[in-house]
Amino acid sequence: MKITALLVLKAAPETTDPVILSNASDVSHFGYFQRSSVKEFVVFVGRTVASRTPPSQRQSVQHEEYKVHAYNRNGLCAVGFMDDHYPVRSAFSLLNQVIDEYQKSFGETWRSAKEDSSQPWPYLADALTKFQDPAEADKLLKIQRELDETKIILHKTIDSVLARGEKLDSLVEKSSDLSMASQMFYKQAKKTNSCCTIL
Amino acid sequence: MQARRGQSSYRDRTDEFFGIVETLRRSTAPDAANNVPYGGGGGGRREDPRSAVANQSEFKKRAAVIGLAINQTSQKLSKLAQLAKRSSVFDDPTREIQELTAVIKQEISSLNSALIDLQAVRNSHNDERTISRDTTTHSATVVDDLKNRLMDTTKEFKDVLTLRTENMKIHEIRRQRFTSNPSKESTNPFVRQRPLASKPAATQPAPLPWASSSSSSSSSSQLVPRRQGEAESSPLLQQSQQQQQQQQQMVPLQDTYMESRAEALHNVESTIHELSNIFTQLATMVSQQGEIAIRIDQNMEDTLANVEGAQSQLARYLNSISSNRWLMIKIFFVLIAFLMVFLFFVA
Repeated sequence: MKITALLVLKAAPETTDPVILSNASDVSHFGYFQRSSVKEFVVFVGRTVASRTPPSQRQSVQHEEYKVHAYNRNGLCAVGFMDDHYPVRSAFSLLNQVIDEYQKSFGETWRSAKEDSSQPWPYLADALTKFQDPAEADKLLKIQRELDETKIILHKTIDSVLARGEKLDSLVEKSSDLSMASQMFYKQAKKTNSCCTIL
Repeated sequence: MQARRGQSSYRDRTDEFFGIVETLRRSTAPDAANNVPYGGGGGGRREDPRSAVANQSEFKKRAAVIGLAINQTSQKLSKLAQLAKRSSVFDDPTREIQELTAVIKQEISSLNSALIDLQAVRNSHNDERTISRDTTTHSATVVDDLKNRLMDTTKEFKDVLTLRTENMKIHEIRRQRFTSNPSKESTNPFVRQRPLASKPAATQPAPLPWASSSSSSSSSSQLVPRRQGEAESSPLLQQSQQQQQQQQQMVPLQDTYMESRAEALHNVESTIHELSNIFTQLATMVSQQGEIAIRIDQNMEDTLANVEGAQSQLARYLNSISSNRWLMIKIFFVLIAFLMVFLFFVA
């Protein structure tokens, strides 16, 4: 479950190509010689998908072994390249976050961008590494996971409580036997004590 | 076979029957050798005074009714088989098929019970009156025949049901393919993916949704329609279709996203409910066990009290044992005194 690349683009009106505003990719698992071509591939496919995503829409496209998710919000488009196992919902919530963050940090300056900007945006790179685990991106997933863990722990607790119950039952048996025995002992002693007149 | 009365063509041989009855009455043979068709004979039977023949006619009436019902059931079954074979992906007459299936099932079960009754009737009749060997073999044959017919019908019914389930499975598979998840599509104009272009069956609008979600109204869409090839007509018509499909595709995708979020929330909520249940159960169990612990405590206190009492008793006993000598000595002296007195008296 990994993210290969995250891109932020300005999705221009349909006629022109979108302009890349920020780009972060993780190509470490490709061989050295393939890295640059993979980067270019990412750029190109990202541009294509972004140009074909209408505003205020989300889209997911399957391309070879990657799923490309795109979210276009009023001209600012975030594109993510994930593999097939990455849950779609987490992907989109991640893209949401990225767009929000971008708007917070860059305001509206991106609207005037005319060509690809080559400045790296550290947040994007951090996001790429942090969100390799889909639970981070999607709070719902995280909550669900924690709840499941809690449930497992509770099950174990209930099992141990049941074992405790069994032990308590056996203890109760033994203690009642003990009290019976001590009562017999007392009666016997009293009996022996009462008839002592003879000898 | 004599029981085949469901069809419209039968011969009414009532008059013949009356003649035979007269002959038989004259010749004192009770029943036997009735080669009169059941359908026509049903009405005439009522006039027959003899109870033996009446019994047998009762049997024959029932056999006739059963035969008729079996026929009707098999007709319905053939209709059902046709329906099951015919059903296509989109206009699936599920409801009718299900109704028909239920009706047929009911009929078959009622026929079964009727057949069993018939057999019981036959047995009871055989016991009551004088058994003619021909009659018994005849009635046995009739019952067997009806049973075989019913079995065949049931077998056909089962076959039709199997066929129907297979069809349903195929439809499901097809349906899944045609209304598949839009994220499984290819947008890349230079990767030609048309996995289902080869599936021609009745899905005229279906190839368009996936292929089209990628295209827009730009000039590059000209490439895409051409690539989609054989099934489409003019590119213009297609473009508008594609845009429309694309719009429709977008909205379901949004919905899918929203739906998946809603579903995740529901899951979380239900998990929390379960957790609360578990906690409640845990609390109950622990409180019950607390009670048990209190009981144990009480038992131990009782034991302690008993043992202490017993110990004091034993201590007293020990005391009394150790101080008992005095009494013994006194008793001994008294004994010796008596002995003295005795000796004085004797000596």
